[in-house]
Order: sequence, then structure tokens, then C-alpha cells
Amino acid sequence: MIEFDRVSRRFGDIHALRHLSLTLDKGEMAFLTGHSGAGKSTLLRLLLLLDRPSGGDIRVCGESTAKIRTRSVPQYRRRFGVVFQDHRLLFDRNVHDNVALPLVMAGYAPRESQRRVRAALDKVGLLALERANPASLSGGEQQRVGIARAVVAKPEFLIADEPTGNLDPALSSEIMSLFEAFNQVGVTVLVATHDLPLISRLRHRILTLSSGSLAGPESG
Amino acid sequence: MARPFSTVLIWLVVAISLSLPSTLLLSLDNLGRVVPDLTRGAQLSVMLRSEADLATAKRVEQRVGAWPEVSRVSLILREQALMEFAEQTGLSSVLMSLENNPLPHTLLVAPQPDMSETEVIALMGRLNQLVVVERVIQDTRWMARLQEILLAGWRWVTALGGAMALGAVLALITTLHLAIDARKEEIEVVSVMGGSAAFIRRPFLYTGLYFGAGGGVLASLCLWVFSAWLVQPVDALFALYDMASPFRGPGALYSFCLPAAGAGLGWLAALIALRRHFSLLEIR
Repeated sequence: MIEFDRVSRRFGDIHALRHLSLTLDKGEMAFLTGHSGAGKSTLLRLLLLLDRPSGGDIRVCGESTAKIRTRSVPQYRRRFGVVFQDHRLLFDRNVHDNVALPLVMAGYAPRESQRRVRAALDKVGLLALERANPASLSGGEQQRVGIARAVVAKPEFLIADEPTGNLDPALSSEIMSLFEAFNQVGVTVLVATHDLPLISRLRHRILTLSSGSLAGPESG
Repeated sequence: MARPFSTVLIWLVVAISLSLPSTLLLSLDNLGRVVPDLTRGAQLSVMLRSEADLATAKRVEQRVGAWPEVSRVSLILREQALMEFAEQTGLSSVLMSLENNPLPHTLLVAPQPDMSETEVIALMGRLNQLVVVERVIQDTRWMARLQEILLAGWRWVTALGGAMALGAVLALITTLHLAIDARKEEIEVVSVMGGSAAFIRRPFLYTGLYFGAGGGVLASLCLWVFSAWLVQPVDALFALYDMASPFRGPGALYSFCLPAAGAGLGWLAALIALRRHFSLLEIR
């Protein structure tokens, strides 16, 4: 469970987030939407402790993140799988090694790591491209590699920042159904997107940010 | 390493910075070895009292010659000394006009070759205690001067070595900055995914180690080539003085210490470069 309790983030005179409160239940899938500059990225950065709030508290599974020390931040971040808009794959290694990165960090044995990477790639339908260089893949395939990397270590939460930003509607819908599939096996999913036509067709809660606050009625 | 050219360049920078001071250090090492060899030739001049006659002088010569710490004694008679002095100075007419020979009988005492400075001094004391001995002279001033020259040399090498090492570290830091910059994207991704600072640092520390140790190996190679080039004329020079050449090459010590020193500098440079970069990327 993720709780934002009257969270604010100021950059000088600019209020990126203003007393924002929201709750994401365990096993829930929700969309975070709003115009550019509405505070979506700030919210995700605060959640991943890439930034700290100016006020309020963020609790994950009842524990305040304010108490997490710098030394323990990497451990905390490993509870999240993160998908980026621009994939952020590393082109100096093949698909397999990209996906294996979180497992290498966590110190998995090569054999176990191999097994999990293949399982994750199988789920996103890219097992055949295991040895390919990600640069040779299409945008949609690259994003699927990014998703495989995000889920390979079986995180509790899956966070995606504009995962369909650069994809056509058919591919976007494919990517969203992947997220839904992971949600169905118990992963809590939060997807920041402004692809309103797509998400309005899916039956999940939509959190709309407007000038740093939650706006309008929540649908779900 | 993906960029062999820049790797070789940084190795050369480290190698030059390390090999220059270590060449000087090796030279000083060898000079230090020559010094005891020179003192070995040092003789003690033992002036007897002017009232000591020839018989007494011969008796003392025999007695001192029997001491275990003395390898050789020769007696220079006062007349003989006067003649040599006259010859060398060209003052024979003046000296002939003297009523009495002002020079005493003198013993030239050569200590055992393996004796240390303090043992030689002890021998001088023992000689001084003999009743007929006026005084014992050892020309130690040149040795004292040489000691000071060597000390100054050590300090010079230390200062130069420090400056060169600093230069090497700065060059390494710059190169590592570039290496880190080139992988900024990766660092950010790994950091967001929960890679610990140690995990992110590790490859760069190894890169620093690789740059530094490689330079150190190259430096010790330079030192070997240099001493191989130098050994022939140095040996020939000592042969001309009828002495065994004390020249020693870098040996195992230098061959091990240079790569180790290079590795240490590389590691240090990587730590500094990472520290600066991490504060820029806000990775703690």
C-alpha cells in the first residue's frame, strides 16, 4: 500500500505538489494523469526517493519513507520495478544482460538469474531476441524489454512513467495489457500517462493531477 | 576497455610520472651502495710522538699489525716522509736548511674491509690510547659531505616523486571523469533500480586500478630497459678503477612496487572522481 499524506514539493516559488493525499491499495492498478507540469514526474520521483518532499509524508506499507536513511535507499528502491518513457536500455549489452541488471545488483547466482531473465522475456514475448542488441529492436520491443527488466526481480510495485509516450495506439494497448497481466498476479501498478483515450477504455482508477493537486472525481 | 588508444595514453602518463622519480631513486640506491666501498679504502694516519725513535716505531708497527681489526700497517719513516713532502712541494732547499726534521714517524693503518663506521671510530680510540701516539687522522669530511649530498638527493627525489604522483592522479581523475560521463545514463538507470553506491562505484574503481597498475607495469618495464642500457658503461667504469661493479637493476622490489604504487594511485583517483561525480548526480 502506498499513501501520500498531504505531500508538498516546492521548488522556490513553484509548487510542484500541493498538499497531495492519495492512497494506492495493495494489488491495485491505477493511472496517474494530468497535463505536462501537473506534477506526475515529481510524484514518481518522490515515491522512488529520488527527491524528498518539502512537507507531508509518504508511507509505503505503513512505513514512513522519511525515516529511510540514505544507506537503505537502494534496498527500498528494489521494491519497485520502474519503466521509463524512453526505455533507458543500455546499448552496450544484449537484451538478456539488460534484463538481468536488477538481478546482478541483488546478487543472484548466474543460474537463477538466467532462469528468471528467460521467464521475464517469455512473459513479454521476446525470448527469441534474448541475444539481440536492444538498439536493433523496434520502439515497442524496446519498451517490452524495459518492462521485462522492471519485473524480473519480482518487485512489489510496478511504476511506469509515460510508457506508451512514443508508441502507436495498437502497441500502446499491447503494453497496457502487459501491465494488467502483472497486476493480475498481485503486483501493485501505477502508470503515469496522458493517453486518455486508451486508459478510459480500461477499468482502473484514474488519478488526475492539476497544478500539484488531485483534481476531479476519481473514476474506477 | 572499449577505447584502447586512450587506455594506452593514460598508461603512458602514469608510466612517465612513476618512472622518472623511480629512476632517480634507483640511482641513489646504487650511489648509496658505492659509499661503503669507498670508505673501505680509507686509511688511518697515526702520527707518533716526535720523541719516539725508530725502534719504538717498529715495535708499535708490529703490535698494531697483530690486532684483529687491522688488515695492514705500514710505517713511513720521518726521513722518508720529509723527502716525499719535499718532492711534492718543491720546497727541498727550505726543508734541507731545517736543523731538525719536523715530521714524526707515521703509521698508515688500514682497518679490516668489512668494518662499520663505529668500529673504525673504536679502532681510532684504541690507537689514541697508545702512549707513543700523538694523534690519529681520518679524512672523514668528504664522507660527511657525501652523506649530505645523498640526503639532499633523497629529499629532492621525494619532492619530485610527490609532484609527479600528483600529476598522475590528476590525469587519472580527468580520464576517469570522462569514463564516468560516458556511462552517466547507466549510472542513473542503475541508481533508480536500486543499485547501491558500492555497486555503481565498483567498475570505475576497477578501471582506475587497471589504468594505474598498467602504468606501473609500463614504468617498471621502462626502468628495466633503462638499467639494461646503463649497466655496460657503469660496469666498465668500475672495472677501470679495479672495482667490482656495485650496479644493480630494478630487481623484484621495484618490479613489484611500481605496479602496486600505480594501482594505489589509480584507486585513489577513482575515489576522488566518483566522489565529485556522485555529488553532481545526487547519488549518495
